[in-house]
Amino acid sequence: MTIPAIETRDLRKSFRTLRGRIVDALQGVTLRVEPGTIFGLIGQNGAGKTTLVKVLLGLSTPSGGSARLLGGLPGNAAVRRRVGYLPEQMRLPDYFNARDFLRYMGRLNGVDSGVMKRRIPELLELVGLADVRKPVKSYSKGMQQRLGLAQALVNDPEVLFLDEPTDGLDPLGRKDVRDLLIGLRAQGKTIFLNSHLLSEIEMVCDQIVILDNGNVARAATPSEFTRGTGEYFVRVARLDESIRTAVEAVLHPSPMSWQQTTLRCMPRDVTQLNTLIDRLRSVPVELESVEQVKLSLEQFFLEVVGGQEP
Amino acid sequence: MFATYMNSLHETLSRRVALVLFGVAILVTLAFNWLVHIRPLANGMSTMIVGAQLPAPSGIAVPAVLESMLRATGTLWLLLAIFAAAPLLTSSLEKGWLELTFSKGTPRWRIFLGRFLGGLTLYAFTFTLATFPLAARLWWETGVGTWRIGIALLVQTFSFAALLSAAALVTLPQKGVTLPIMASVAIWVLSPSLAARQQAYYRLFTSHLARTIVDWVYRILPKCSELEDLCISLVQGGRMTSWWPVWSTSVFTLAVLSLTLWQLSRKSF
Repeated sequence: MTIPAIETRDLRKSFRTLRGRIVDALQGVTLRVEPGTIFGLIGQNGAGKTTLVKVLLGLSTPSGGSARLLGGLPGNAAVRRRVGYLPEQMRLPDYFNARDFLRYMGRLNGVDSGVMKRRIPELLELVGLADVRKPVKSYSKGMQQRLGLAQALVNDPEVLFLDEPTDGLDPLGRKDVRDLLIGLRAQGKTIFLNSHLLSEIEMVCDQIVILDNGNVARAATPSEFTRGTGEYFVRVARLDESIRTAVEAVLHPSPMSWQQTTLRCMPRDVTQLNTLIDRLRSVPVELESVEQVKLSLEQFFLEVVGGQEP
Repeated sequence: MFATYMNSLHETLSRRVALVLFGVAILVTLAFNWLVHIRPLANGMSTMIVGAQLPAPSGIAVPAVLESMLRATGTLWLLLAIFAAAPLLTSSLEKGWLELTFSKGTPRWRIFLGRFLGGLTLYAFTFTLATFPLAARLWWETGVGTWRIGIALLVQTFSFAALLSAAALVTLPQKGVTLPIMASVAIWVLSPSLAARQQAYYRLFTSHLARTIVDWVYRILPKCSELEDLCISLVQGGRMTSWWPVWSTSVFTLAVLSLTLWQLSRKSF
């Protein structure tokens, strides 16, 4: 059995506020991230996502349960040398330029200076900052984000934690990041992605967990999250009374509605859907499309955190 | 640790307050060199004129000049350097930066200690810049040995380490640089009065308990003023009369620094 890249069991974290109130940020989180996969963590603000990442990186100590990173304890320096992290909020000191910054980050991770000499230009090329010569203080938000991504990769990590990696990037930059993540996965890296951009998560992740009030509300693959609702859109070339009657005859009493020439319906099963198609052809009417209605990750997420069963 | 040490020096050079410190150090060394005139005598000896004072044989004048310089610069550097060095500690705990550095494969106590040592280097460098050129000139032109200025540098840097360790401890539970600076300055300001507590406090505090507390406060806190006196005495050729200020300040510095690093290692961010 392979050692999971990340594993937590009944992980708990409580804070005491200044007024003495105890806040349970994590209330028993159990999850397992396999090596070489992209794992997406989603949740509302205050759901405990950042706390979970901080515990996994050893920045915060858990109140209970256990966390393992590459088989070791998260606070272990040797383990952290194999990990990269892009925090959501980054403060880059004014006095750095990109190369100095990456060199310093690399040295903190014990990267050999000879390796860095080769790796830093490659990383700057990778994130599109190779030709930028100005100091970090004059970087735009998007450029800072790109540099943050480069520093997370400076030690060629086995596990990469990315907190809102596409924040501040334009659509082209987002696509670059997506391609980068997919490329890193192909190299066998594990990526722990924490993002509000559900469409991004949906596109790249192999496994998704919805965190709600410090608990794992759902854990599944994107295809499980975005499964069919049982509804279909059937688009016909024209609509008249004979077509309406034909549809009624097959589907009644299942729910259905027309919007111009598009029928939204929920057949009992695939057999009934095929019967409907045959009947429409026999009217005759030309079918332009038949499309299954799928739940988007966003809809699923809203239903889960809204307390409704999808 | 070396990486963070070098990074703290890099950061220091980018801060205006450190540049001011270097500027003042250069001004001080220029001023002292301008005030001191050395006249060679026919018998191979030399005489010195300091400012508007009467000429004196160099054997007497050199220690006196060094004392004046240390009295003027010792106090000034401790204060100015605290203003320049304390931000090195607080900036390492700023949100958005600590997540970047403390998530790396270097233990956080090493990162913090590297910056602490960077602060000490800043002090030692500016002290050297302000005092060594004159000491070197005096030795070169009069032949009177001024190597003991090196001992002064060590003692004063040690005294500064005690103050900076207090600033480091105060850095952890709060944000901002004000309280760490205030803590260090308060210790430094209290130091002479605590050393002379019989005259300064015993008239105010008449109860045995209050006096015992004052005595213990004196015993625990760094003995900055006594270390400065010791430093001046050593530069003038005096001998070590008591190790008490040295070892008690060492205990304070080591204990406070260890406590700070231990707390930092356990702290949840």
